[in-house]
Amino acid sequence: MASVSATSLSFQPSLKLSTRTSQGCYKTSSLEVVSVGWNRRTFPSLRSSRFCICAVKAQPETVQKVCNIVRKQLALPAESELTPDTKFSALGADSLDTVEIVMGLEEEFGITVEEDGSQNISTVQEAADLIEKLVQDKSGAS
Amino acid sequence: MANAALRNVKVLPNSANMEEARHRVFEFFRTACRSLPSVMEIYNLYDVVSVSELRSSVASQIRNNIHVTDPKVIDMLLFKGMEELKNVVDHSKQRHHIIGQYVVGRQVQDSATKDPDTSTFLKNFYNTNYF
Repeated sequence: MASVSATSLSFQPSLKLSTRTSQGCYKTSSLEVVSVGWNRRTFPSLRSSRFCICAVKAQPETVQKVCNIVRKQLALPAESELTPDTKFSALGADSLDTVEIVMGLEEEFGITVEEDGSQNISTVQEAADLIEKLVQDKSGAS
Repeated sequence: MANAALRNVKVLPNSANMEEARHRVFEFFRTACRSLPSVMEIYNLYDVVSVSELRSSVASQIRNNIHVTDPKVIDMLLFKGMEELKNVVDHSKQRHHIIGQYVVGRQVQDSATKDPDTSTFLKNFYNTNYF
């Protein structure tokens, strides 16, 4: 049995620093907590009142990673055009393919996308925005 | 963790309509995908398969029943799927069962059905080996 090796990408901590210092930051006292597992929620720490949440725009690196995962999941050729505004349905993905893409993104970024979050994902940009928000919530809650 | 999570799963009442059944299929697929890291750990499958390949295998098995439109049949299939997932997570299967059904099973089935010269006896023989 031939063994396959998967290329793993690491999320650079410098992105978090650039996220915190970028424009459009605003402070909020209420933090939206991500559910982990079955109905288990992590409570925000005292530092959550000082946590900066950026606007909904995702980092270009996140969008690029999302494009790579989508291309691999849907078995698209490398020369096919995949822009942030591309719809998954335009690439020939049905609803199960969309759920599979979301699960692949969960595994890659180490987050848990709730059902109401994944229902609204239909383009690459929306997926990247949601991932950016969840990654910030995850780092802010810890 | 996946073991404890699946312990709380109960049999749901029948779906009222097609949309609810479709919604439950996606929930089951999500539950199965979140159990895959535990399955990889339990059966030590790191050298034969990856999590994404197992996820594709599960998705292809769900897609095999894409033609079903009766909510009662979908509920029955979901019940069988949840039972199978519980068997896998509780280590009620052995390693070669997982490999035979979800790693190499697809390839053998595909190669069997694509060969027109294979006799019906051999086709049924190949199919029953992996079901």
